[in-house]
Amino acid sequence: MAMYRWRLLTTWDAPPGVNMGLDEALLERPSTPPTLRLYSWSPDTLSLGYFQRYADARGTAQAGAIVRRITGGGAIHHVNELTFSLVAPLAHPLYRCPLDASYARVHGAVTRALSVLGVEAHLRGEAALASDVAGTGMCFHASTSLDLCWGGRKGVGSAQRRRANRVLHHGSVKLGPSSLEEGAATVSGSGVSVTPEGFAPVLIEAFGEELGMRLEAGEVEPEELAEGERRGERYVSEEFVRRR
Amino acid sequence: MRPDDRKYLESHEWAKLDSDTVIIGITDFAVEQLSHGNEDDLVYCDLPEVGRQLEMGETFGEIESVKAVGDLNSPVAGEVVEVNSEIEEHLEVLAQDPWGKGWLIRIKPLTKSLDHLLDAARYEKVLAEART
Repeated sequence: MAMYRWRLLTTWDAPPGVNMGLDEALLERPSTPPTLRLYSWSPDTLSLGYFQRYADARGTAQAGAIVRRITGGGAIHHVNELTFSLVAPLAHPLYRCPLDASYARVHGAVTRALSVLGVEAHLRGEAALASDVAGTGMCFHASTSLDLCWGGRKGVGSAQRRRANRVLHHGSVKLGPSSLEEGAATVSGSGVSVTPEGFAPVLIEAFGEELGMRLEAGEVEPEELAEGERRGERYVSEEFVRRR
Repeated sequence: MRPDDRKYLESHEWAKLDSDTVIIGITDFAVEQLSHGNEDDLVYCDLPEVGRQLEMGETFGEIESVKAVGDLNSPVAGEVVEVNSEIEEHLEVLAQDPWGKGWLIRIKPLTKSLDHLLDAARYEKVLAEART
């Protein structure tokens, strides 16, 4: 299998604006190498989908912070959860394929990592999920055939942002429960207790093995961070959060 | 083979000369990528206001499916003179007829040349590579 060099970033307990601004900076900067970033949020944050109506999402009063994502879909409560982003050119082997195939590749790695923990995840396919709940506006309460689930419930949220030449894939793996996402599959619900920092090495190894990534640990460059912080102000601004 | 009466961007927009304007849309491949065959998977489309000036390659709108948000990029520079506002409410039209009724915007271009864009044969090669 061909190996491809990727930069690995880990940014734990980052503020919501920085999390979204940094992802946008990675997507927008043409000099950015293919990058896998693993992260978590502080405080616990409700992220709205890019086009989602503010009024359609629950939990806007309960979450510690609110941000609007650069990717679409429903709202996610980022607590007891690991988020990852994969940013690469559209021409990269990961993304140079039909969109659903790129999902399958990423989900192959996540499935492998979960399997190491003893959680047997699989694509939803045409099955109905017990976690599907109408009207909450939550990502984990709506599913498509491409979503990863276990125990008949959705446990991984996914979305992509496609610019003309670059792609950002967002993934959210539920490690434990949220009161806003009752019924979602979680790793802890399968009897395994793991933190985002504890899950990270497992996920990193799975990405490497499943997708032929040669991951090299890196640091967020100072100019990337500065650009991320600048761009992030928009994602947490009242105007942008309530734009729809 | 895609229609050869128009030109293409690698990012899957098409441009067709119509008198002194250029009609812009996205290809069936773009629709398929976003919706994987299910027109209900297209959920939102944001198009520009009439009168907006666009640079060549500039993002003029965004389209969302249940799995991806994609930019809409202008193949030509010019002024937006008409918007197919029906699309924003009826995305199924885009899925059903991306070459005709699913057009997105009409631009009065700075120059009428589309020579900088891909012809249908070259666009097919782009698609062949995208499928590998």
